[in-house]
Amino acid sequence: MTTLDTITEDVVLGRSSDAGEPAWLTDRRLAAYKTWLDQDWPNRKVDEYWRNTPFDRLIDVTLPLADDGDSAGVELPEGVVDRLDNPAATVTVVDGAVLDVRVADTWADRGLVVEPLRDAAAGPWAGVVSEHLGSLTTTGNGSGRDEDRTISANDAMWDAGVFVFVPAELEVTDPIGIQHYITRPGVHQPRLLAKTDHHAKATILVEHLGGDFPDVETTSRAKTAAVVNEVMEVIAKDSSQVELISLNEHGDDVAYLSLQKAGAHRDATVRHYSATIGGATVRLRPEVDLLGPGSAAFPSGIWFADEGQHFDVQPYMRHLAPRATSDVLYKGALQGKSRAVFRGNVYVAKNAVGTVTNENNRNLILTPGARCDSTPFLEIECADITAGHGSATGQIDARHLFYLQARGISREQALRLIVLGFFNQVLDHITVDAVAERTLAVIEREIDLADLDQVAVAANSLELED
Amino acid sequence: MAELEIRDLTVRVDGTDILNGVTLGLEKGKTLALMGPNGSGKSTLAYAIAGHPSYEITGGSLLFKGEDITGWTPDERNRAGVFLAMQYPVEVPGVSLTNFLRTAVNARLEEDKPVREFMGDLRQAMADLDVDESFLQRSVNEGFSGGEKKRFEILQMAMLKPEIAVLDETDSGLDVDALRIVSEGIDKLRGPDLGVLVITHYTRILRYVDPDEVHVMLGGRIVASGGPELADELEEHGYEHYAVSA
Repeated sequence: MTTLDTITEDVVLGRSSDAGEPAWLTDRRLAAYKTWLDQDWPNRKVDEYWRNTPFDRLIDVTLPLADDGDSAGVELPEGVVDRLDNPAATVTVVDGAVLDVRVADTWADRGLVVEPLRDAAAGPWAGVVSEHLGSLTTTGNGSGRDEDRTISANDAMWDAGVFVFVPAELEVTDPIGIQHYITRPGVHQPRLLAKTDHHAKATILVEHLGGDFPDVETTSRAKTAAVVNEVMEVIAKDSSQVELISLNEHGDDVAYLSLQKAGAHRDATVRHYSATIGGATVRLRPEVDLLGPGSAAFPSGIWFADEGQHFDVQPYMRHLAPRATSDVLYKGALQGKSRAVFRGNVYVAKNAVGTVTNENNRNLILTPGARCDSTPFLEIECADITAGHGSATGQIDARHLFYLQARGISREQALRLIVLGFFNQVLDHITVDAVAERTLAVIEREIDLADLDQVAVAANSLELED
Repeated sequence: MAELEIRDLTVRVDGTDILNGVTLGLEKGKTLALMGPNGSGKSTLAYAIAGHPSYEITGGSLLFKGEDITGWTPDERNRAGVFLAMQYPVEVPGVSLTNFLRTAVNARLEEDKPVREFMGDLRQAMADLDVDESFLQRSVNEGFSGGEKKRFEILQMAMLKPEIAVLDETDSGLDVDALRIVSEGIDKLRGPDLGVLVITHYTRILRYVDPDEVHVMLGGRIVASGGPELADELEEHGYEHYAVSA
């Protein structure tokens, strides 16, 4: 049985050849394996990016790598992807196997490619895959910082991979929906490689569902029966526009680690929206390398943590070229004994003159017992830029509550309006109706879970005028 | 008995007694002016009537249609027909004005008013108060000027059709044009089914909304009551005269 901790060269080789992967891909995996071999697991004392998420306590590296057993015929709940109007393509992934790929004829005819990553690597798209796979994760080859062992583990052993290619000047106006289901415990390592060629346009929605294993014993209370260790790479070539939407509605028994990274070339725009709702432990990294002049990144997202959940969201924008723009906006709510961490990073390189960047995070602590740490970081090596950042964590404002109640709105309804209003600024950014509807529904569900009698109201700051 | 009957009311805020026995009756169809200098307890009375949780009623009674409402929540009071137009309306970020008003109107009516009918009423109320339709897209009071906030308070009053309305310093911060629009809005709502309590420091608003009675508050008590002529006296002599006698 191979675990995250006991990967061997033979296992990497065996898996790759069993899957019929081309030699270059096997070599790529072996190189990642060698990196993995040289690394230790993340340690909060050494790696500041893991400071708030104790890897050794929360992630069980002794779990077996889940194999893509017989997943056909498993009953799958409906997700957002199922509710998309006229999707350009849909992909269903179950337990590390890409089960179903459908591409609408109208888009396939015009050149949209959506297929399993292994097929792409072995077929006519091998050149594109070879050029870009790992280009944003591999030290030396890519633009990023040194990656940790979770990333080399995925580089070496990713299982269900999806490849998306949008040819130059094709504007795919319907969303591409990818659904990941977990029906068995163990380690799952999905991968996405997407490329929008110059002046192309696409919206890619990745949804994570499943992962309730109440009967499976775990090695400790804080650890989960399933780990999803995911890497997404999005290559946005010149003047292309890509939107990546990530919806995490995992069950209670999942630890979800996900790097969702885009490289934005000249005048390209990358939008990113994430909703973090499910799972016991989540460490989400929405990242954009602004590689070309005039590129832009608009990452936004929400989370709603309840009893026992630990969310660590770390957007990272790297301004590596002049006149690029980034605007980071995250809003989170917490209730019960839960924890959320926002660690926002914006790096502006020496040559990135004319950078405009903004970074904001707001958190609402709904009931006592929750804790949130929010730190927006700026690392600036260039003088000629405009940068702003802000962070605030608070409770429901007593003045808001009284105002609504004084208009006949019940306390419960008023709390609902205030919480939805709090998220509204982010919800406005959502471009896909089904995603907006789902986000609203999950926020409502979380409010339903809350003990509204326990809702903490901020010390009455109303000035007692007279 | 008057619609709103306040008897010997005492109110404490943050451990300090602010109202020291206020007695006042407001009937439907009548307009009362409550005047007094800053710190006399006028707004405390307004918040106490509306049920603000920080204003602790320590004695006396507050009756609406003969029922003691001191134990009622603010929303219960409003739904019953008691409305407070606030001196400093609160910005509620992200809550759309239209959604807020619809929720409030449905709560007051205790039924779902058809959207068409609701929007018709809303557009009419907006036209009456010279409020631009672009406000429909905005969040409650967010980014509103002082005058816009006050207009929006009266717009809510028009939509919620209360039986008792307490207008707390609605004139403060308004320029002459805005005061005229807001006052005409209030005037239009007056009638046999509405009792209005106008709380004000200055007599300015009373030139537009003429009161049936004027009461003067000082040190948490009503120190003088009379007809509209009392307001003119105050205009001339100020509150100092009462400060001596109080």
